[in-house]
Amino acid sequence: MRIVVAEDLYLLRDGMVRLIEACGHQVVATAATGPETLDALRTWRPDVSVIDVRMPPDQSDEGLRATLAARAEIPGLPVLILSQHVEQLYARELLADGSGGVGYLLKESVFDADQFIGALERVAAGGTAMDPAVIAKLLAGSAPARRLDRLTEREYAVLGLMAEGLSNRAVGRRLFLSESAVSKYTTSMFGKLGITDDEDGNRRVLAVLAYLNP
Amino acid sequence: MRQRGSWPAGVGVGFVRACAVAVVSMLIPALWAAAVALGIRWGAGNPWSWTAPVLLVGVGTFALSRPVCRMTRFLVTRWTTAVIPSGYRQAGPVTRMSTGYWWNGFGYERTRRDALMDQMWRVRWNDPANWRDLRFTGILPLTAGVVACLPPAWVAAAVVGLGRPDTSARVLGALGLVLAVAVAPLAWRAVEPVAVRFLRPSPAMALADRVEELTAQRADTTVAQAAEIRRIERDLHDGAQARLVALGLSLATAQKLMESDPDRARALMRDAQAGAASSLAELRELTRGISPPVLSERGLADAVRALALDIPLDVDVSADAGLRLDPPVESAVYFGVAELLTNAVKHARASRVRVRLARDAADAGLVAEVEDDGRGGAEARDGGGLAGLRRRLAVFDGTVEISSPPGGPTRVRMSVPCESS
Repeated sequence: MRIVVAEDLYLLRDGMVRLIEACGHQVVATAATGPETLDALRTWRPDVSVIDVRMPPDQSDEGLRATLAARAEIPGLPVLILSQHVEQLYARELLADGSGGVGYLLKESVFDADQFIGALERVAAGGTAMDPAVIAKLLAGSAPARRLDRLTEREYAVLGLMAEGLSNRAVGRRLFLSESAVSKYTTSMFGKLGITDDEDGNRRVLAVLAYLNP
Repeated sequence: MRQRGSWPAGVGVGFVRACAVAVVSMLIPALWAAAVALGIRWGAGNPWSWTAPVLLVGVGTFALSRPVCRMTRFLVTRWTTAVIPSGYRQAGPVTRMSTGYWWNGFGYERTRRDALMDQMWRVRWNDPANWRDLRFTGILPLTAGVVACLPPAWVAAAVVGLGRPDTSARVLGALGLVLAVAVAPLAWRAVEPVAVRFLRPSPAMALADRVEELTAQRADTTVAQAAEIRRIERDLHDGAQARLVALGLSLATAQKLMESDPDRARALMRDAQAGAASSLAELRELTRGISPPVLSERGLADAVRALALDIPLDVDVSADAGLRLDPPVESAVYFGVAELLTNAVKHARASRVRVRLARDAADAGLVAEVEDDGRGGAEARDGGGLAGLRRRLAVFDGTVEISSPPGGPTRVRMSVPCESS
C-alpha cells in the first residue's frame, strides 16, 4: 500500500515509517504540519494515511482539520487518526460523513504491530478502526441507550466489537465463539435495534456507528 | 401618592424623624457651641483660656465623628431602601506565635490584651475612613441638619408665639404651626441623598480594600499553585518515571537473554510493552487533569461539548459563536463547569442538564450558566467544591451565584468580567 505519515515528533514519525516499511508497505510522503498534511493528501491520494491530531503551526487540532478538509474534497479517502487521547467529539466528526474508511486509535496501538497494520489495511479497504474507549462511550451515550437496554450482555459485547470495525470472524476470535454463533447474535441484535442487516461487513459497521452517533 | 387617611400619621412620623436627624446632625455643632461658651465664661482676663475649648473641640470632634456617621447610616438604612457600605477597616486576627508573643498584624506584644489594644488603636488611627467621617460631620449640619431643624424650630416658635398675649405674635405662632405641619413629612428626607453621596467609601478606601483583597487572593493562588505543582511532580515521580525505569530494566534483561533464553526474552519484551502502555495511560490521565486536550486544541465551547459527551446524562450545551478568551480564564471556567456537571451526576441525581456559555451583554465578559433538574439543596461549604470554584474565579474577579432550593432546580451562574478576559 502507498501510505502517508503525518506526525510532528520526529522520533515517532521515524519509528512509524520503519514499522510500516518492515511490514512491506511503502511510505510515499511524510508531513509534520497541518498544511503539509493537506498538501500530501491532495498530491498523493494515498491508499491510507496515518495522521496525528495535534500538530504545528498552532498546536491545535491541525491534523484533524486537514483530514476533514481532505475527505470533504475526496470522499472516502482512507485515513487513520492516531492520537495521545481519544475524544468522542472528534470521533463523531470523523464519522459524520458516513462514508467509511476512517480509523481513530490511541498511539499505543502501534505497540502491537500486527493489530496496527491490520487496522491500517481495514481502513484502506474502506472499513473502520475505532478505539474501544470511544465505542464504549458511544455505547454508554444517552440517546439510544433506552433501546440498548433490550440487548443481552453477549449481544452488547458483539455490538461493541463490531462497532470497532471487526469482522464476524475477528469478533468470534475475541469472544471465543464460532463465526456462525456471532452471525446469529448479530441477526437478533439488528432485529432488536431496527438496523437492516447487510452481508457487507463495512456497511454493517457504518450502520451501527450511525445508530450510536445521533 | 399618599392616601388621605395616613396623612396625620405621615406628619407624626416625619416630625419624629426630623427631630432624630436634627439631634444627630447637631451633636457636634452643639459641642462646639458648648466649647465656645466655656471659653467665654473662663476667658475673662486669662490669656490661656482658649486651650481648653480648642482641645475639647479637637478631641471631641474626632471621637464623635464615627458614632455620628454610624447613627446617620443606621437611620438612613432603617427608613429608606438605600444601602450604604461603611468601608471601615476590619481588624485582622491576633495569633500567638511559637515564641509566646502575640502578633496582631503590625507588631509583637507580650500579652494578648496589649496586642488587641495596640491593634485597635492602629486600625482606628490609620483608617482612611476617618477623613471621610470628619468631612461628613462638617457637611451634615449645614445641609440635612438645617432642613431637619425646621419643623422642631417652627413648633418651638409656635409654642412661644401662642403663649404671648399680643395678636401679631399669635398670628406668627399659628403660621409656624401650619408651616411645621406642612414641612414635617418631607423635612427628614434630605438626609438620604446627603448620606448616600458623602458616606460612601471614598476612592482611597475602595483602593485600600481592593489591595487587601488582591493580597489575600494572591496568597491563595500561590498556595494552590504550589500544591498543584507538587501533586504533578509526585504523580510523575511515582508513576510514569518509575515505570520507565522498570521498562529499561526489562529491556536490558531481555537483551542479555536474547541468545541464551529467547522464550524468556520474548516474555520480558511483552511485559515491557504492557508497562509502556500503562505508563502512557497514566500520563494521559495526568495531562487531562492539567489541561484537557480539547480545551487546548479547540477552546472552551468545544471542550465543554466534549465534556458533555462523556457525562452519562442528557446534557444540552449552547454557546455563542466565536467565544474565545484568555487560556487561563477558559481553563478556570472549564473546570468550573466540570465541577458542576460532576455535582449534577453525583449529588443532585439529575437527569437533564443545560449549559449555556454566552458573552455578557453588559461588559463583553463571559457568563456560564449550568442548570440541572436534580433535587437541589446545593450550597458552598468551606473546603467544598463550590467554594473552590469561587476561589478559582475570584482570581479573575469572577463571581458565582448559586440558586438551589430544596427539590431543585439548581441554577449556577458564573460570570467573568472582560478586563480579565
